[in-house]
Amino acid sequence: MNSAVQPGTLSASSRKAGREVEVRGLWKSYGEGEYVVRDVNFALRPGEFLTLLGPSGSGKTTTLMMVAGFENPTRGEILVDGHDIALRPPEQRNFGVVFQGYALFPQKNVLENVEFGLRMRGVPPADRRRRALDMLDRVGLADFTTRKPRELSGGQQQRVALARALVFEPDALLLDEPLGALDRKLRESLQNEIKELQKRFGISILFVTHDQDEAMMMSDRIAVMAEGRIVQIGPPSDVYLHPATPFVAGFLGETNLVPGTYQGMDDGYAVVDFKDAARGRVRLPADGRSLTAGEAVVVSVRPERIRLLTDHAETTFAGLVADCTFMGRHTRYRIQALGQALTVSVTEWSPTSALCAGAPVWLGWQAEDAQILSGPEGALPMPQEIVR
Amino acid sequence: MSASRSLRLSGHALLLIASAPILLFLLLPSLIIVPMALSKSQMIQFPPEWISLHSFVDYLGDPQWVDSTLLSFQVTIVAVLIGAVAGGTAAIALHGRSFAGKGLLVGLIMMPIVIPVVIMALGDYLLFAQLRLLGSWVPIAVAHGVLATPYVFISAQAGLTSELNPALVRSARSLGARPTSVLYHVYWPAIRPGLLAGSMLGFAVSFDEVVLALFLQGANAVTLPVRTFSAIQYELTPKIAASASLFIALALVALGLQALAARKTGRLS
Amino acid sequence: MMAAIKGLRRARYGNHDGQARHFAWLIVPLAILYGVFALLPLGMILRFSVANGFENFRNVLDSPLLLRVATNTLVISLATTAIALALAIPVAAALWRSGPKLRSLIMAFVLLPFWTAVLIKNFAWAVLLQDNGVVNGLLQAAGVGPVTLLHNRLAVLIGMVHFVLPYAVFPIYTAMREIDRRLENAARSMGAGTAEVIWHVILPLIVPGIAAAALLVFIVSTGFFITPVILGSPSDMMVSNLVDYYVHELINFNNAAALAVLVALLLAPVVVLQQRVGKRGQYGVG
Repeated sequence: MNSAVQPGTLSASSRKAGREVEVRGLWKSYGEGEYVVRDVNFALRPGEFLTLLGPSGSGKTTTLMMVAGFENPTRGEILVDGHDIALRPPEQRNFGVVFQGYALFPQKNVLENVEFGLRMRGVPPADRRRRALDMLDRVGLADFTTRKPRELSGGQQQRVALARALVFEPDALLLDEPLGALDRKLRESLQNEIKELQKRFGISILFVTHDQDEAMMMSDRIAVMAEGRIVQIGPPSDVYLHPATPFVAGFLGETNLVPGTYQGMDDGYAVVDFKDAARGRVRLPADGRSLTAGEAVVVSVRPERIRLLTDHAETTFAGLVADCTFMGRHTRYRIQALGQALTVSVTEWSPTSALCAGAPVWLGWQAEDAQILSGPEGALPMPQEIVR
Repeated sequence: MSASRSLRLSGHALLLIASAPILLFLLLPSLIIVPMALSKSQMIQFPPEWISLHSFVDYLGDPQWVDSTLLSFQVTIVAVLIGAVAGGTAAIALHGRSFAGKGLLVGLIMMPIVIPVVIMALGDYLLFAQLRLLGSWVPIAVAHGVLATPYVFISAQAGLTSELNPALVRSARSLGARPTSVLYHVYWPAIRPGLLAGSMLGFAVSFDEVVLALFLQGANAVTLPVRTFSAIQYELTPKIAASASLFIALALVALGLQALAARKTGRLS
Repeated sequence: MMAAIKGLRRARYGNHDGQARHFAWLIVPLAILYGVFALLPLGMILRFSVANGFENFRNVLDSPLLLRVATNTLVISLATTAIALALAIPVAAALWRSGPKLRSLIMAFVLLPFWTAVLIKNFAWAVLLQDNGVVNGLLQAAGVGPVTLLHNRLAVLIGMVHFVLPYAVFPIYTAMREIDRRLENAARSMGAGTAEVIWHVILPLIVPGIAAAALLVFIVSTGFFITPVILGSPSDMMVSNLVDYYVHELINFNNAAALAVLVALLLAPVVVLQQRVGKRGQYGVG
């Protein structure tokens, strides 16, 4: 019997009063010095939606698998309310896992699928039937109890998978790229459903994906991973607007990377000299490292944060429009300025929208929207959480 | 375009024309057995003189033949059970793993049907003689069990590969299933169809088998094929045709079940 | 100290997906079954064969019977393989080119003998080929005198080809099924006629399948026991019958064992070859 679980009922008072799952110093290697996960640390707070975001090979899935128990960490601890479960097999952990493709038992019907976790925990038949039916009702599948998985649509299968994982009140839900193979329309509606369910049940979710739009839409916090490390962790707005490294800046959406030279401080912002004798104010690096005058830096500015101005204003540079492309929702400009080609994205209609090839413009940005980046991965000693 | 289409059509027709006599050749022996069994005469002949059930009466009235029939069923059922357990567990044990020497191990599992059966028969004879177990039906059942195992293994393995999604095992474990539960809830449903198909094949193989049963026979351990074999060598009587009809009936049943199963899963053979 | 204990526990669980390890022990039933009832018998054969040093091997090799029997086995097996292949190719092609309903029908024709006991098939052939049997009846009606069709090489070949034909059809059919239709279309669009398509497109792609079929049929043929007895004469004795002869007539187990070892040794390389060839484009094993 699983000693870590007490069967009970989810009540309003238990919302957000779950257990904290913490990962400390997690390392994973499959062989001679080849590490796929390096020194990963994070805490999944009760009721929080935390996403591990990264390209394939970044170690995000391996990390999730270690939390779930399907991989053993080479080093490190996995703590639930302070107890280390790193050596427990998956069947003795109290997590609900949703895999890509949902892995519903094909020969069992919907009700039997949802009951399964309760059955494994020794809940008597009448009880588990009642709780499973209750859960199915809450996800809107009360009429589907006798259907087999192959008779369900993708969205319905997801709801069954989630119901199955939630019914035994796990400490957290672990989702391994569940929406990876789906087309866009379906993905979006299913993303909403997951988010909905999370809010309703107040469950903590650890989510893995490579899709940055998905991560931004669903998460309370995003942990960006590359080459086995967490490079940056924080709320979506922070990670997007104030990326720590070029990788993060480039992975979440597009950005312009502009090299310059640090000159000094001005009213809390850094002053940076760019090419073409331009000078601007930008944010200091996210990891808080100190800069020396004359040091070379790289500044990241998102295309939508660069404004095209018809006249001179604060922090403006001169530029020449190379081309413009109407993209529907916005117009993309490529503008020669600061000694390179900058990408600018403009959504609202303004006198500048009429500009195209060859037209001279002024560009500007708010100091808050430009960010000095720290060095490439590997140079970072510790992933930093941005404290606001 | 239509010229080449008609060429292709006639090509197909040519194939069918070429194949027809071959297919007839294939089917002919099976076709004549039952009519022979229904013949009036005391001699085996084809075309037979219709129609009488006396051959079946003779067959069922002969205690030796009846005993052999029952013995064959007994041996075969035990053999299939042995083969199902050995082949099924091996299929699960090897499922989804790759390791150096797996090919060799699988080759070893297949060995009983690759090696000429007379060699197995000799070896079994020597072994069971040593163990002083010759003369009972048990050695035959065990030897047939070994023979049936590869068939079950192949079929079960193929079934597992197609039916078992690896994420299902992880799914079950994440929901709290310990190894026995995983076997019961995940592996058993997945392996059932393949296990059944392989067992059917094993049944046919064991029931029809002559050489092993010949070498391992005893006074009270004469299987139906062995008795039929001996009878054929001495004199062709209608009784033989009656017993042969049983074999045909089994073949038809097996064929029918296979067709049914194929329709269910949408695959052929 | 705690770290050491943790390290030890980690070593026990292993550094990979623990699930696969759980079920490895399920190989035990088969291991026991084979260990005692497959490997041990072979060991016994080996023991009996070398019980008198190499004397038994010399006995077997010196026997005039062996030359006769070995030649028979080789000749019959090769002939069976050749004929079976020749007959299997049109049938496999017919299966391949036919629509689903026709295919099921043809497949039934191939499968029914496959499921029928070899004993019964031989019995039926014996009846058909006997002097007053159907085939002779037809021949006499056509004006040809009664021909001895039974208890000779011809009957044995007929019986053996009949048995192995399904075994030949399946690999060839499988190989044909894997041919991409578009290759054929491409060839035709470039002007190839049927003969050219067969020669340049189809044939090269099914050669591995034919080779696999040939090896399989050959191996199966060498092991025949019943057919030579029922349909053949003493001069058609094959190697399996010789083993039986040593055991039941001469009651010389050592010689029988020596012969068995020789057969196994000769057959082994062919089997290995068949496994290799068979892997390319054959379903199943491994």
